[in-house]
Amino acid sequence: MPTTRNIDEAAMRRGARAITQLATIALIVCGALAAPAFAQSGDKVKGAEIYAQRCAWCHGEKGDGQGPGAARLVPPPRDFTFGLYKIKSSGFDELGAREDDLIRMIRDGMPGTSMPGWKDVLSEQDIRDVTAHITTFVELDKPKKQVDYGTRIATSAESIEQGKKLFLEGDRCSECHGKEGKGDGIKSLKDDAGFRTWPRNLTKPWTFRASNDPKDIFARITNGIPGTQMPSFVEPASKDKLTIEQRWHIANYVASLGKTGMRVRPERTVIRAAKLEGEVPTTPEDARWKQAEPATFFLVPQLIAKERFFTPSNDTVTIRALYGDKDIALLLEWDDRTKSIPGDERAEKIADPEIAEDRIAVQLPVEIPKGMEKPYFIMGDAAHPVTLWQWSSGTTKTAESAALAVARGIEKVEARAAAAGGLTAKGAYRDGTWRVVMKRPLAAGDPKDDIRFAEGVFIPIAFSAWDGSNGEKESRHTLTTWYWLLLEPPRGNRPLFAALGVFLLIVGGEAWWARAATARRPRES
Amino acid sequence: MARRIPRLAQAVLTIVGIYGAFRLVFDVLLGQPIPSSLLTMYMFFVVAGVYMVFTFTEESTRELVAPIRALVEDPRRKPIRNVVFALTPLLAAWFTYAGLQPRIEAPVELRSIHPAPPSSVKMFGKRFDLLKLEKEEPKKFRQLVAEGAKVYVENCHFCHGDKLDGRGPYAEGLNPVPMSFQDVGTIAQLQESFLFWRIATGGPGLPADAAPWISSMPVWETFLSEEEIWKVILFLYDYTGHRPRLWSENADHSKH
Ligand code: HEC
Ligand code: HEC
Ligand code: HEC
Repeated sequence: MPTTRNIDEAAMRRGARAITQLATIALIVCGALAAPAFAQSGDKVKGAEIYAQRCAWCHGEKGDGQGPGAARLVPPPRDFTFGLYKIKSSGFDELGAREDDLIRMIRDGMPGTSMPGWKDVLSEQDIRDVTAHITTFVELDKPKKQVDYGTRIATSAESIEQGKKLFLEGDRCSECHGKEGKGDGIKSLKDDAGFRTWPRNLTKPWTFRASNDPKDIFARITNGIPGTQMPSFVEPASKDKLTIEQRWHIANYVASLGKTGMRVRPERTVIRAAKLEGEVPTTPEDARWKQAEPATFFLVPQLIAKERFFTPSNDTVTIRALYGDKDIALLLEWDDRTKSIPGDERAEKIADPEIAEDRIAVQLPVEIPKGMEKPYFIMGDAAHPVTLWQWSSGTTKTAESAALAVARGIEKVEARAAAAGGLTAKGAYRDGTWRVVMKRPLAAGDPKDDIRFAEGVFIPIAFSAWDGSNGEKESRHTLTTWYWLLLEPPRGNRPLFAALGVFLLIVGGEAWWARAATARRPRES
Repeated sequence: MARRIPRLAQAVLTIVGIYGAFRLVFDVLLGQPIPSSLLTMYMFFVVAGVYMVFTFTEESTRELVAPIRALVEDPRRKPIRNVVFALTPLLAAWFTYAGLQPRIEAPVELRSIHPAPPSSVKMFGKRFDLLKLEKEEPKKFRQLVAEGAKVYVENCHFCHGDKLDGRGPYAEGLNPVPMSFQDVGTIAQLQESFLFWRIATGGPGLPADAAPWISSMPVWETFLSEEEIWKVILFLYDYTGHRPRLWSENADHSKH
């Protein structure tokens, strides 16, 4: 939940959503009762109207995926003139998807893309109509077959173990999806239309276009993802061909990869730094990071000021914090498919030119705000400067590095040496994930440029990230809005003493009351 | 006839009932829990109010406290009294202890959605009279709306959503959340010139009473021409089917 409320607006929206949900349920129930009437296909003419109003600005008037919105979308909107659909449960050797597949994508949308679900504005019949219209962009026979699911193998430890073996065997899936499934394979992939595609990060099932139900994953493994390099694993020519049973095992394994702990929890807007005895950790591997509660935030592309950026690859960042008597340390962790080291031959081959270093930055106000007034969330403003802690991944010639800056607005950024504020940073890349530790004394540097930390107060904090293999540098990057950092004071004895005091006070009062009552009684009766 | 509920029980039931209603409406129905600091404040007023109502006359006061007095003074109730007397200090001690634990809730920042614009807003005037245009020059109107749609999908849908419902692909990462134009509480309540001002000057253009000034709404005058801003406004009204508030209703942009 955002901490800033748009008074009544958010609540109204939720109310409205509840009503739409009810309406949808009602519709589904009616739909089920009236099934025969709905089963006939949609009306192309009505569909064309809906398409012109709702879909053409992305998918193009002619269905060629060239609507005005297309240029700034990753992935690009589907070009309907090929009849290739990503999510299909028809036969692997048939072109086109079943009507149900299309209806499902239109109704529920495709997570991780700008294709929204339309069920809240279009009725079931509208969706059938628009589906009928889409299929007029290309002459195709209706698919007749359906994926053969055989008998589903329920998930179990053994099935997952077998699936893992098949996933890694001969680099079958890990070739593209990486050893841990984070999509950090070493290949540069393009889809049929020549657009850059990235293998899915299988540990983030909420970004799957379909779902991570093993049945859905089974269908993807069977049919591949048409139009992209995700191959079909039933193609007779494929040397990696898989039987039905093997596909269920892999599907169960992939479904088990979801790291729900890394999912953004909107109500978690505070990074809680616990207090440690002694020194704070200086490396990402330090076991004490387990004591810190992680908080994950969305990274949003910088589409607000200066040169804007529309095609991000990083999507979330997870933060942990710990502090001691002298220092504070932050662990920043984010999935990045590419380790971008300029000069490194392999890195340059995968990267979109021009490769740059991967970077991350922490933004804090120079002065902890007393009231609600915070600095502007991108680089502060003239009256409210921010301090930036930056880390860069290094090149083949220079090592990773830390730097400081103080900013009084987007155009007014002053670089400073990390040493001036006592900042140190250390990063490590493994299997598709960067982990970077930044450390600084609680009070250091110049009060004009550097924050002094205080226990027990909410300190605004924000982050920016750059994926150097995705053309990100300078103002082309991803960022978060303000969240909070809290240095949680150790819980002393005060609450205990206060509780004891209250206890004794009340017991005393009760004793006095009871005595007074007993003393009075004989007189009254 | 059924026995009357004792006054004390009535008072307690009323308070619990109101508390339950708060929880039900906000947590369950709206899915947006009230921050506990706010709830504590509300409940303080509720308790005070109930107390005043129930102690309005001397008799009603006596009736209210009678069960408590009886509990302490009636020797037959001694066992119950002992239990109550043991539980009360324990509970109070527990609440004190829990209450003094470091506060863990982030500060709540309420913002007024439609702050009064600076007086210079009127300056922008109106370039297109939407209603007139729609009636008198439908063809030109459709053309302008189509151009506005292009501006929208190239610039705004990332936050405000393809369906203009405030749920664009990046909306979840923004705080405060982008406005839903489908909502009757936004553009239907406003005049075109107000929209022009908000779009042209964005989050940084918000006046002081729109604290905490952290809106991510971009400053569109740096990216769009005046013409383009008017077209996107036409589009917003056309797509949602809302109509701008008329000038005659005028004057104050009351806060919502
Ligand atoms: C904001 C842009 C946008 C709008 C508006 C939009 N789409 Fe899409 N749509 C996309 C994108 C982007 C994709 C491709 C997603 C991907 O490749 O993962 C897509 C994909 C699709 C697909 C392909 C599904 C598949 O399995 O490959 C269908 C069908 C579709 N859209 C139908 C529609 C219909 C019908 C509408 C209007 C009611 C619509 N879209 C409106 C952006 C949009
Ligand atoms: C040649 C590279 C390649 C190989 C090999 C490969 N994939 Fe993929 N996979 C991709 C790409 C690229 C995508 C993303 C396609 C897109 O743009 O939507 C993808 C997407 C997926 C998805 C996401 C489906 C969804 O609903 O979004 C799953 C699940 C998946 N792959 C599983 C597998 C499994 C299991 C294997 C091994 C049996 C495998 N992949 C092998 C390239 C590959
Ligand atoms: C980076 C995200 C973002 C983009 C892009 C964006 N907005 Fe906004 N917009 C917001 C947020 C957040 C709010 C709510 C906070 C506020 O009132 O400033 C908002 C508020 C508004 C409002 C005020 C509505 C009201 O009821 O007061 C209007 C009008 C508006 N946006 C129009 C636009 C238009 C037109 C575009 C495209 C040219 C656009 N926005 C692009 C984030 C965005």
